[in-house]
Amino acid sequence: MNAMLACCDRDAERERDATSLREVLAVEDVRKTFVEGSQKVEVLRGVSLAVDQGEVVALEGPSGSGKTTLLSIMGCILTPSAGRIRVAGREVSGDESALRDVRKRSIGFVFQQYNLFPALTAQENVEYALNVKGVRGRGAAAEAARVLELVGLGDRKRFLPRDLSGGQKQRVAIARALAGAPEVLLADEPTANLDTAVGTQILELFQKLAKDENKGLVIVTHDPKVRNVADRVVGIRDGRLSNPQEH
Amino acid sequence: MVSLARKNLLHDRLRFVITVAGVAFAVTLVLVQVGLFLGLLGKATVTIENSSADIWVTSRETPNVDFAHSFPETTVLRVRGVAGVERADNAIVQFMNIMLPSGAEEGCLVYGLEDFSSWNLPWDVESGDPTELRRGDFILMDRSAERRFGPFAVGEYREILGHRFKIIGATRQAASFTTAPVVFMDFRRAQGLQQTVHNKTSYILVKVAPGHDKAQVAARIRAVTPYNDVYTREEWAARSRNYWVVSTGLGMNMGITVFLGILVGIVVVAQTLYTSAVEHVKEFGTVKAIGGSNWDIYKILGEQALIAAVVGYTIGAAMSFGMRPLLAQLHLNVLVSPQFAATVFAGTVLMCLGAAMLSFKRVAGIDPALVFRA
Ligand SMILES: Nc1ncnc2c1ncn2[C@@H]1O[C@H](COP(=O)(O)OP(=O)(O)O)[C@@H](O)[C@H]1O
Ligand SMILES: [Mg+2]
Repeated sequence: MNAMLACCDRDAERERDATSLREVLAVEDVRKTFVEGSQKVEVLRGVSLAVDQGEVVALEGPSGSGKTTLLSIMGCILTPSAGRIRVAGREVSGDESALRDVRKRSIGFVFQQYNLFPALTAQENVEYALNVKGVRGRGAAAEAARVLELVGLGDRKRFLPRDLSGGQKQRVAIARALAGAPEVLLADEPTANLDTAVGTQILELFQKLAKDENKGLVIVTHDPKVRNVADRVVGIRDGRLSNPQEH
Repeated sequence: MVSLARKNLLHDRLRFVITVAGVAFAVTLVLVQVGLFLGLLGKATVTIENSSADIWVTSRETPNVDFAHSFPETTVLRVRGVAGVERADNAIVQFMNIMLPSGAEEGCLVYGLEDFSSWNLPWDVESGDPTELRRGDFILMDRSAERRFGPFAVGEYREILGHRFKIIGATRQAASFTTAPVVFMDFRRAQGLQQTVHNKTSYILVKVAPGHDKAQVAARIRAVTPYNDVYTREEWAARSRNYWVVSTGLGMNMGITVFLGILVGIVVVAQTLYTSAVEHVKEFGTVKAIGGSNWDIYKILGEQALIAAVVGYTIGAAMSFGMRPLLAQLHLNVLVSPQFAATVFAGTVLMCLGAAMLSFKRVAGIDPALVFRA
């Protein structure tokens, strides 16, 4: 009986999500100016972008165009000089502990350099991230195992990063980003260190996870293959979005 | 819970070994040095602590039990009349020259009492009977004398200040801080040997009657002995001990050793933890990026410091313990009480945590945005 109720609740929730909570991430007229000595560098000059649940957005642009800066702001690692950010339907305020809370609850990062903890096994890397996010004990171990299965590393849980290939490392990083059920995944050049075939696999994995797990996903990349998996490709040039194309 | 702190320590094994070695070194230095010091210092008060005297009456300004001056032996009569005094006896403690079989003359510290057994002196008798001392020119000599005087056997004779005494037994544990071996003989004979103690005594030993407060009785004795000092056993032991700690500079020396030990420990731990923190900056940035706070990172450094403290202390304590037989062969006694061991442990933990805190500012300044940089 309880199980049935819980199941129906979840269905109801999903329905509500599907209608009213489509948008998981939005930036509005975001500007960022870095001050270096006497020089001001205007890196973002009014960027607006919204990402929906289950949507894959590719962000393309030349080096130095502000992609990483925008991703950092969307991920609440950096505060904008002006503009508004909404994550999971909530306006994000600028104070550090609020930003940290959003990162903890709603964001999963994947980096070009993987940024795994070298002393921890694949399982421990994911589990530790869950611990930091406040999930402890058996629950954390089970969730880590689940996401590692999802990325196809069920048989590599006890491996240290140094014993994994680049693609496998990135899979661990993706599993770590997925852990704790954030609404948003943000990836900065996730395939830049991988060869073409492996890069394709990683992008396809991203796409599948975004759809299956209903995440909003932003991938920053130069990789042309991203066009095969993205719902939308957004260009960025000199701190402004350009030719936003629908896929 | 996954302990990044522990895994990283084991990952940087060499650094961990260096950290632990630094802590172990500091712990060994402090335990052995202070233990030796306390062992040595124990000799300064061993007779006070083993005798059953509750109160010691001394001549004015006597600095410690070994360096006695004399005062009229009749003072004891006044002390015996004080309310709450169960028993009071004169005792001579006096350096005297002793002639060895080799012809060499050495100093020894003579303890002279009329009734040794009433005062639990000597307290560790290997052979012979202290009550026999009053029956003739007899002495009991402490075994520790063999180190200075060479071996002796019961039944042999020794000349003290030109007077022949028969060794009728041997004692153990009786020592003086000055290293002069302790010899027990009858009070009257000791008095007769040296002009300076004719009709005089070095101390009055006092036993307080049951139900009386030692401090109150001491105050009453003070009132009737205006030319003497009166101490309870604890006060007298403290005074004797402090004399050696302060006057010899041993205390200062110990302080410097402990300070250096702690300094070495802090420098090694702080240095290794700091380089470790710097090397793991990117990992700490990642912790922050996934929602960790500065406090989460402080906990990592703190846990590492704590592990270094516990492992370092264990090794240091084991090394100190292992060195004891070696030092014992050199007639050095390392005295480590459980309280002292606990104090050093607490100090080690504080030292390591303090050293870890020196890295806090560095990790607090880590910008999570660095996770995107190559
Ligand atoms: N913390 C910073 N301080 C000063 N300038 C910065 C900082 N971060 C980025 N920039 C500058 O902003 C511009 C965009 O950087 P970035 O967002 O990293 O570009 P992309 O990821 O597209 O290559 C570059 O010119 C870079 O030098
Ligand atoms: Mg970049």
